[in-house]
Amino acid sequence: MLGFGGEREAVSKVGLTAADLVAARRREPAAVTRVYTAYAPALFRFFMAAVGDRHQAEDLTGTTFLSAIEALPRFRGPIEALGGWLFQIARHDLYDHRRRQSRSRIEPLEDNLNEAAQVAGADDPEELALDRVDAERVVAAMRHLSDDQREVLLLRMAGGLTAPEVAEILGKTTGAVKALQHRGLASLARVLGLRSPEQPQERPYPSPDPGRLTSQEEEER
Amino acid sequence: MPRPKPNKLHDELDALLDGRPVELTDELAPLAEAADALRAELAAYQLDPGVADRHLERVLHGSATVVPLPVRAQANGWDLRRRVAAVVLAAALVLAPATMASAAALPGQPMYPFKRAIEQLRVASVQWSPSREAVERTRIVDARVDELDRLVELQMFNQLLPALDALKQAVVEAKAAVDDARKEGEPSGKAEVQLDSIVVASRQVLARVAIAAENAPVSLNGDTARAIAHAVVETQGVLAPPTRETGPGGATPTPGTQPSPPDPTTAATQPQPPPSSAPEVPTTTAPPVTSTTSPPTTTTEPEPTTPDSTVTPGSAGGGGDTGSGQGTTGDAAPAEDAPADVPAP
Repeated sequence: MLGFGGEREAVSKVGLTAADLVAARRREPAAVTRVYTAYAPALFRFFMAAVGDRHQAEDLTGTTFLSAIEALPRFRGPIEALGGWLFQIARHDLYDHRRRQSRSRIEPLEDNLNEAAQVAGADDPEELALDRVDAERVVAAMRHLSDDQREVLLLRMAGGLTAPEVAEILGKTTGAVKALQHRGLASLARVLGLRSPEQPQERPYPSPDPGRLTSQEEEER
Repeated sequence: MPRPKPNKLHDELDALLDGRPVELTDELAPLAEAADALRAELAAYQLDPGVADRHLERVLHGSATVVPLPVRAQANGWDLRRRVAAVVLAAALVLAPATMASAAALPGQPMYPFKRAIEQLRVASVQWSPSREAVERTRIVDARVDELDRLVELQMFNQLLPALDALKQAVVEAKAAVDDARKEGEPSGKAEVQLDSIVVASRQVLARVAIAAENAPVSLNGDTARAIAHAVVETQGVLAPPTRETGPGGATPTPGTQPSPPDPTTAATQPQPPPSSAPEVPTTTAPPVTSTTSPPTTTTEPEPTTPDSTVTPGSAGGGGDTGSGQGTTGDAAPAEDAPADVPAP
């Protein structure tokens, strides 16, 4: 069970109360703003790390929040479970977004960089690209992780969720989530040059095929 | 030195990520460093306050400007026309059958909300002209009367109360629209004539409802039958004499909106008042006596002819709202229920 339980006035870890939840269901502006302020930054970080594009991340954040507020009257959990529920919607929206992206045409990288340079106000797209690589070194390194590891780490670190909350969203056990975050961070440490003593050197990255499970991953499931 | 079990390592790392105090071993150190680096990088992603304002505006008012994503090239005119045509075609393909299918829907049936939504859409589309709005609202009254008639015919007694409420509200709104059209100096004669004839027809339907409630089968419990009879009386009160008798101008109650005496054709079918020892009518089935949406000209409701003291305006306040209460009990439901609303990706 998520949350603290047993308290008269339940307060979520982001400072929202059950009264906020009730008021947000009625779309009272103050309550909706409180919910947004509590969760939108985390949602944005999650999307930003997942899609790597500010415009798309902003759009996804707004879409997710709007969907959540519209669906809020149907949310029956306690206020402590709201974060997990929001990120479940976010994950769903992200999958939708990726599905749409996969259907759209592939744009040349040069175009992307030129456009990004204009948006960022930089003169030189190359300079911008180098800046980005430097500033997003760790997030870029996450591409070497398996899908599961990356998702767990994003929900944990960007979303600020606990391991049991992530486990509930992903439909896994808490132990499996803990194992995934452990191996994900170990891989990340290796990619970043922070060698982890417990990992074998001959297999620096997880299986290149995310659909193919290793025996260890199979055990986790 | 023996290495700790993997599970213990997992727990320690989890505690570390949660900010709980943990001894930083050689094994945990690079993981903690990687986690810190990731956290620091993620923290740099800040939501623009202007974007946050737009999001909130969209949620609260649904009117935020859409910020288009950067595009490589503008769609040419032909593309745009094709897209518009596709959208119109898709809307027509979806809406036309749905509109036809919902036309015969009755309260309580799945398509009924769609029918009501289409009605509201039609009203909204003619609100620029008071006379057209009056005609449209008169059509809605006709639809409500027709529904009530069919409900009786099909013996769908459990839907009679909401249907009576809907009829009352439709009549009130139609009268207000006719009054508005007259005040604006627009031709409202057609709507007035139609409304008058519908009002006459509705009296007969109400008489049938009253008879049906009185001779209800065992499936209709006595309290509900009394509540229906009470609602019939109220609705008859709202069905005023022809709107043409209403004096021009003024928002005060006019003769046209005063409750008419009981129709002799229906008076005979009025349910008799229950004995004083009658069980209390449940508040969940009793309709509200006054509608909060009623304009000032119609707030003077007639006293119920049935001296059923148990059905008071206060006790009937929750009528018709049995299914829309704030689910406070639902808030205490287990968290496992919450994700069920989210479709699986």
